[in-house]
Amino acid sequence: MKKGFFVAALVAALAATAAAFGGNAPARSGPTAAAGPDTALIRCGRTRTIGVAAPVTGPAASIGAQQARWARFFVTRYNARRANRRKKLRVIVGDTQLPDTAQAIQVAERFASNSAILGVVGPAGSQEVQVSTAPLKSGGLAFISGSATRTTLTTDRTRRGFFFRTVPNDDQQGPKVASHIRSVVRASRVVIIDSQNSYSTGLSDTVQRILSNANVNVRRESVNEETTTDFSSLIARIPGDTQVVYVPWQLAPKAQLFGQQLRAAGKTARLFGSDGLFDPDTFKIPGSLVSFFPIDLTDPVIRQYRAGPGGGESQLFGLPSYAATQVLAQAIDKSCANGNATRAEVRRNVASTVIQKPNSLLGFTQKFVQRGTFPLGPGDMQRPADFGIYRISATGNYVRVA
Amino acid sequence: MELPLAFNDQLFIQLTVNGVTLGSLYALIALGYTMVYGILKLLNFAHGDVYMIGAFIGYGVLSGLGGPLSPDLALAPLILLMFLAAMLGSGLLGVAIERFAYRPLRDAPRLAPLITALGVSFFLQNSVLLLFGAQFRTYNSFVLGSPTPELFEPGPLIDPVFKIRGVNIQLIQLMVLLVTVALCVVLTLFVARTRVGKAMRATAYDREGAMMMGIDVDRVIASTFFISSVLAGAAGVMFGLLFSQVFHFMGFLAGLKGFTAAVVGGIGSIPGAMLGGLLVGLTEAYASGYLGGRWGDLTVFGVLILVLLVRPSGLLGSKAIQKV
Amino acid sequence: MDAPDQQPRVGVDDWVAQHEDRVDQRTGFAALRRRLGRYVPPPVQLALFTLLAATLPFWMDRGDLFAYGIFTLMYILLGLGLNVVVGYAGLLDLGYVAFFGIGAYSYALLSSDHYGIHWPALATIPLVMVGTALVGLLLGLTSRRLLGDYLAIVTLFFGQAFVVFVNAVNPIVHGQGLTGGPNGVADIDPLRFFGYELTTRRQQYLFLLGAVVVVLTALHFLSESRTGRAWRALREDPLAAGAMSIPVHRLKLMAFAIGSAIAGLAGCIFASVLTAVSPGNFGLPILITIYAIVILGGIGSLTGVVLGAIVINVSFQFLAPENPQSNARVLFYGVLVLLLLLTVRPRWVGAALVAAVLAFGIVTQAIVEALAPSWTGGSIVQGGRLGGVIDDWAVIPSGHGNFGNVAYVALVVAVIVVTRLHGWWQTAALVPTVYLAAIVWETSFVEQPAVARWILFGALLIGLMTVRPQGLLGTPRVEIV
Repeated sequence: MKKGFFVAALVAALAATAAAFGGNAPARSGPTAAAGPDTALIRCGRTRTIGVAAPVTGPAASIGAQQARWARFFVTRYNARRANRRKKLRVIVGDTQLPDTAQAIQVAERFASNSAILGVVGPAGSQEVQVSTAPLKSGGLAFISGSATRTTLTTDRTRRGFFFRTVPNDDQQGPKVASHIRSVVRASRVVIIDSQNSYSTGLSDTVQRILSNANVNVRRESVNEETTTDFSSLIARIPGDTQVVYVPWQLAPKAQLFGQQLRAAGKTARLFGSDGLFDPDTFKIPGSLVSFFPIDLTDPVIRQYRAGPGGGESQLFGLPSYAATQVLAQAIDKSCANGNATRAEVRRNVASTVIQKPNSLLGFTQKFVQRGTFPLGPGDMQRPADFGIYRISATGNYVRVA
Repeated sequence: MELPLAFNDQLFIQLTVNGVTLGSLYALIALGYTMVYGILKLLNFAHGDVYMIGAFIGYGVLSGLGGPLSPDLALAPLILLMFLAAMLGSGLLGVAIERFAYRPLRDAPRLAPLITALGVSFFLQNSVLLLFGAQFRTYNSFVLGSPTPELFEPGPLIDPVFKIRGVNIQLIQLMVLLVTVALCVVLTLFVARTRVGKAMRATAYDREGAMMMGIDVDRVIASTFFISSVLAGAAGVMFGLLFSQVFHFMGFLAGLKGFTAAVVGGIGSIPGAMLGGLLVGLTEAYASGYLGGRWGDLTVFGVLILVLLVRPSGLLGSKAIQKV
Repeated sequence: MDAPDQQPRVGVDDWVAQHEDRVDQRTGFAALRRRLGRYVPPPVQLALFTLLAATLPFWMDRGDLFAYGIFTLMYILLGLGLNVVVGYAGLLDLGYVAFFGIGAYSYALLSSDHYGIHWPALATIPLVMVGTALVGLLLGLTSRRLLGDYLAIVTLFFGQAFVVFVNAVNPIVHGQGLTGGPNGVADIDPLRFFGYELTTRRQQYLFLLGAVVVVLTALHFLSESRTGRAWRALREDPLAAGAMSIPVHRLKLMAFAIGSAIAGLAGCIFASVLTAVSPGNFGLPILITIYAIVILGGIGSLTGVVLGAIVINVSFQFLAPENPQSNARVLFYGVLVLLLLLTVRPRWVGAALVAAVLAFGIVTQAIVEALAPSWTGGSIVQGGRLGGVIDDWAVIPSGHGNFGNVAYVALVVAVIVVTRLHGWWQTAALVPTVYLAAIVWETSFVEQPAVARWILFGALLIGLMTVRPQGLLGTPRVEIV
């Protein structure tokens, strides 16, 4: 029995190795053929393939799965339209397992080598974009992220024409938040809590800087939102007279927990969440503020998602990934009009794609910046792409206030 | 850079309460590790995932009975039912894991079961991910049992039972402490007084000898796994009630802390596990309370390393007599 | 009176003395390996491996070369280092991945724009290796007082502390955060030797292969030397080794230092290949993978580490969701059929089982289709040729939301039941179980390949350890109680 099992395992492993290398046969682009994938003609045919890179398993699975789901949701809707019956989209999901960027770069390499893929939605994290840049660029692929907000990713201009994002960057969101805190809420004692990841520290640093320069009393704290569930020690550190606690986190359930524990401890500070916390199903602390796209929460598409893949939840963290897939699909449509396309062509079309306001779930006309001045860089969305500020009512509803 | 907070007694009491609550959870998980180690010299890394499944079973019962916002039962029987279901389910799961993953490796080199445990851990975590999805599931313990949950009125679990110098002690915190103490007392009595307990101690001391005395070692080991998993299941439900959120990855993190607590207290020693759990919980609370998130975690590691360097066999561990 | 050679020899435990004879009589894979080892000396084995590995860039595309080639070699290197600490010296070091991180971050700080230092690789690599070895030595100092699991915990803390330090503490040095916080250090230079930069994947792969060969050779000689023998003595019984006047503590320190140095080397190469390092790269998942490789391959065996890394990384990458699912499907059914054919005795029963499963499927499909067509209305995801055949064989519903989940739970229960049955009952129960497995694959696993990968990986680890607890190339040990 043991010997048999072992031989079986060995044979299987060898067969696997053989089959694996037979699988990707057409993509013979060796490491030196950098020009090849860029301009190689890909036959469009009846199925066009896009790659979606998101952390579908691991510690960040709760947000990565949302992104993958929204991206797939767009593809389902796209494929269901009569006009697209001869040009369906197919999704290949790559599991990037944030925060381990080693997986992200492997996904990027394999996407680049897969000659069927025309464009990529993702990756999710700013560090992942960092490591994926080289392989995706040499593969000639456009990659549109729905959540990588580090400002330098576009403003350093090394990814011009390749990297795009359907979220505002840290230096767009930060000033708006800071000005709201100062001018509208008129808070003079603020605590900022970052969650020890790239997204959070970027926003925290920006807001802290602006508020400190405006002579607001700012105290900075730090907590690991992924691993912490007991915020009581952190809460004990927040002075009782704090007016606003800014929490640029990504996990809405953790923020909800934090808010509840804050209330239970008798502290009356108002919470201010960033776009990662915009989740009407989960983050419902009355009186809190959240920044997010000026979306229409009653939009039928969102309702369709809730009823379908969302399983009763809107999971709006993944909404920008829907927008990204939409942009990519439109670009691919245009490139494939003559039956075949090159990745370079898709990239150019992505850069010039415009999604008009009625078609855009984000609530404004989506256009990408070509050159841009700080805080915008090539690949960011042009104005009026910006966030609004919402307040959570006593019954848990999100109401736009700015 | 956060500023260390000045010492004031209210903060100290609050942090102590936090630490004791957290410590109780860690103690329960640590007990599971320590019991299995005592009998098999095996570090059961899948233990954290049994705890996670306990939390999910509790969630399953809760949502099966109407969900946290409109439960079909009154609060007390509901919680009791959740506990029983989770403890039983986890216990059976623990026995199954022992039977299928560890028994074939009973006489294998020490590190082999480590890999099996990892395999079981991957399997359990991702099965839950497959079946339940990646979203956090919530017990909504803040409003659980509250007459008007939609108005976010805190439920009875959060109600302060009494105050010490102005610091609220919530019902749920008190409950966690009492249940943990009760379980620990029951366990200690069980191991000291009952026949099965004696058989466990004998097997832990010398397996061959116990076999020669006619003790059914397989049964004893299965019972050990059952008990340790029952404790883990209880801890899982308590975690859900304390912190609301359950997700597939929670076992990994808690298991790590529980393992730490078990070793710091002296692995193989039951009172050591309880003490270790308390120590880890308190250290965590004080460090993150007084020093803030960034230095807090680092300090916890530092303190625990120091404890181990001063007492290399753990706080209550016995100095291993090496047979030549 | 017994014949002279059958008389019990005084002063010798006969059973222990006959150990070598028993080893010689073993059949199966162990015999194969022993024969190979006798006829193919290690240098030739190494040469064969190198030759085979060097051909990879010429027939694999870039993505596969990266995932299968570069990362397997990286894991081999890390596994070799851990093997020195765990396999040779018997120390459970759970903080090993921190040395990997220290190596990577050190290289990053010395060869990037972070502080504007751009030293050539010829300078940084030796420096980083020495530096990491020193840190390893420091950590090794704790092993004087701590034994076994307590050492494990302290090293675990060290590993965790490293990640926390690099991520959250990030002290300000020379005007900016030393380690870059959660963003880490980016824009790291590629390895540069005499002005020649290793920028393409092929170059990086070949360099890594060279590094692996060098380390393998060095470790082989080390293992055959007095130090290696002393380590083995230390691993088997520290007290006896100490009594033989083997410098136990010095050997432990040496093991820590050498293991860390190798990790440091791996870190440098890792940093230059990825061009960016962040705290998330050095957490527990990597540690777990390296341990799995070392233990699976057989502790203490160099060939075992190589084989373990290949098995684990190849199977893990093969099951990756970005790999076309049609390939994974071929593997899945192939393994299923092979398992049935090879593990069920007598052989003809195995073949009959395969036929029975096929027939069972066709019959079930026909019945279900006749009674409730919506239950077979669904179709295969990412079919291919095999997919079309499977579509007509397996019951795949369209709609019926929770079917996948229910089928999965049913499969787990079925497997448990099968293991509890015996004889013909067991064989008969295998048929619906295999069919159910196919259905679960097509309905659940293909929908969520990323999750399925981990489930299968976990099952693989459990299965492999159950069948061969000593690892693929480990030797079953004779333990005297």
